[in-house]
Amino acid sequence: MNSNLARLAALVIAVVALATLPFWAHDPYQVHLATLIGSYWVLVAGLNLVVGYTGLLSIGHVGLLAIGSYAFAILAGQHGVNPYLAMLAAGAIGGICGFVLGLPSLRLPGFYFAMATMAFSMIVSEFLLAQDTLTGGGAGTSVPAFTPPFATPNGLFWLVMLIAAIVTWLTWNVARLMWGRAAIALRDSDVAAASVGVPVFSIKLIVYTFSGITAGVAGSLFGSLQSYVTPETFNFELGLFFFICIVIGGRGAIVGPLLGTVVLTALPEVVAPLAKLGQFFYGALLLLVVLLVPEGIGNLFAILREKIRPRRLEKHVVDPDLARLTSAIRSTPVS
Amino acid sequence: MNSNRNYRALRTTGGPSQTVPSASARPSSQAAVVRRGELIAKGVTRRFGSVVAVDSVSLTVKAGEIHGLIGPNGSGKTTFLNLLTGYYRVDEGQILVDAEDLTAAPVQRRPHFGIARTFQKPRLLGTLSVLDNAMLGGWEHAQSGFLETALALPRALREDREQRELATELLHGVGLGNILQRQANLLDHAEQRFLEIARGLAVRPSFILLDEPAGGLTEHEIEQLARIVITLRDCGIGVLIVEHHTDFVFRICNRVTTLNLGKMIKHGTPEEVRNDPEVIRVYLGA
Repeated sequence: MNSNLARLAALVIAVVALATLPFWAHDPYQVHLATLIGSYWVLVAGLNLVVGYTGLLSIGHVGLLAIGSYAFAILAGQHGVNPYLAMLAAGAIGGICGFVLGLPSLRLPGFYFAMATMAFSMIVSEFLLAQDTLTGGGAGTSVPAFTPPFATPNGLFWLVMLIAAIVTWLTWNVARLMWGRAAIALRDSDVAAASVGVPVFSIKLIVYTFSGITAGVAGSLFGSLQSYVTPETFNFELGLFFFICIVIGGRGAIVGPLLGTVVLTALPEVVAPLAKLGQFFYGALLLLVVLLVPEGIGNLFAILREKIRPRRLEKHVVDPDLARLTSAIRSTPVS
Repeated sequence: MNSNRNYRALRTTGGPSQTVPSASARPSSQAAVVRRGELIAKGVTRRFGSVVAVDSVSLTVKAGEIHGLIGPNGSGKTTFLNLLTGYYRVDEGQILVDAEDLTAAPVQRRPHFGIARTFQKPRLLGTLSVLDNAMLGGWEHAQSGFLETALALPRALREDREQRELATELLHGVGLGNILQRQANLLDHAEQRFLEIARGLAVRPSFILLDEPAGGLTEHEIEQLARIVITLRDCGIGVLIVEHHTDFVFRICNRVTTLNLGKMIKHGTPEEVRNDPEVIRVYLGA
């Protein structure tokens, strides 16, 4: 109970600290950075269900992010659609694209699926370049701001935080209930998953579609924050970046990938005085994490605790309670 | 968003000890489970290239009965079990549950027909707790779709609570009640085997197929396994055991089938099978 209380307290403190960030931040750039992390997280949270839970190697979500950004820019900017409606539409378009991409490619095993998602992000990039009447081609297109009350940079920050909180809550529910167990079963043993009736393909497709929706919404927020996007904004490195955030953070958890997103986004900025070494630190961090804590930085504390004070697993003799077994089996209503 | 989990009303045939919900059963809103009477294989054949792994085997697992499947290595026992559970496609013959033909049903549809199984090499989710592993078995009975779950609507939460209760009871029942929160990859071999049985029971099956459940267990653990299997039988579940421990099989089974080179060579009571000259010649030894 105590640890639950501590967790709740930590959550409340984090929420209050984040909500008041614009008031205590030193300069607007920090708010910008926090907004960027938040909009990345909207995508990564959804992708986390795909990569961290279901165990699919999707490295092409940047394509879905681009689709979200451009859908938002075209709808809200060129056609004057209400930006909030445009954001929902971008989410829907992202979901449809995720579904259409997943339908053929989710049947592919591991690395082939990864290659299909990579190919998808390249196709999106080429498509954006080619359709220059719609997207502005290589010159890019401007992305409008949201309307009040979220029109200012601080307003956008709060909007992003609100949506990030909602998406986190949704994925947390999925992860802790039956669907989370089924997803992890697909990751760790699809044979066992099928043996208890988990419909392998439909779970993958539904989870992937959901991640497309969050990527579409994230694209609107990200685009609006950048205020101008070109196909080059959505390069393949960004797609790999999202995937790495999850792997660095640790699979099968939500806090880990969140930490991963924060650290990997903020790191190049924190070491800004050594700007030339930014990439070096990024690479060094990756190497350190992969070598020292392959379980992910989200599990750092658990691993340290285990190192310092290892739990002893006392051997116990399996002793069935047959009366309880009988009543458990018979408790099921039979038609 | 929901996969096909409609429970069609099915004709139920009465097994010898048809399970009736006891008066003490906790009031529950769980979806009712259809009790089936017989899992039938009719002339089932499976070839791998030119090798006939299973050659026209017929066998019936009845509710409330323990059926042993024995034979030398490579006689097709596990292949046959994989045919019953849909991991392999049947080349010839039929697999039925009562009057329903499930020959063409994919693996993931078999639990719908009341079939659960365990694996020769336990397949657990190593990073999850014992309790979560057992709860996974309840998937077939969870009706909540993705959106319902994501929004934590009341039905999703209620189903989760019910699954947790049932899994907890089953785990206490098989003797793992004191390690509900232990991570599954920290379990020893016997604990893994018993957890697989608990997960299979969370499917609320009419039939459970155990693939070498006694493999790697100590004498004492085999004894506990025997008591569990007998309890399942008494609860009206049909049990099919693929096993090399022949004393274990002859002691607890009601009927035994012997395979050799994919063919059925003897079928009958443990007494009849044990004394059959052909079985002694190819498998038991003099």
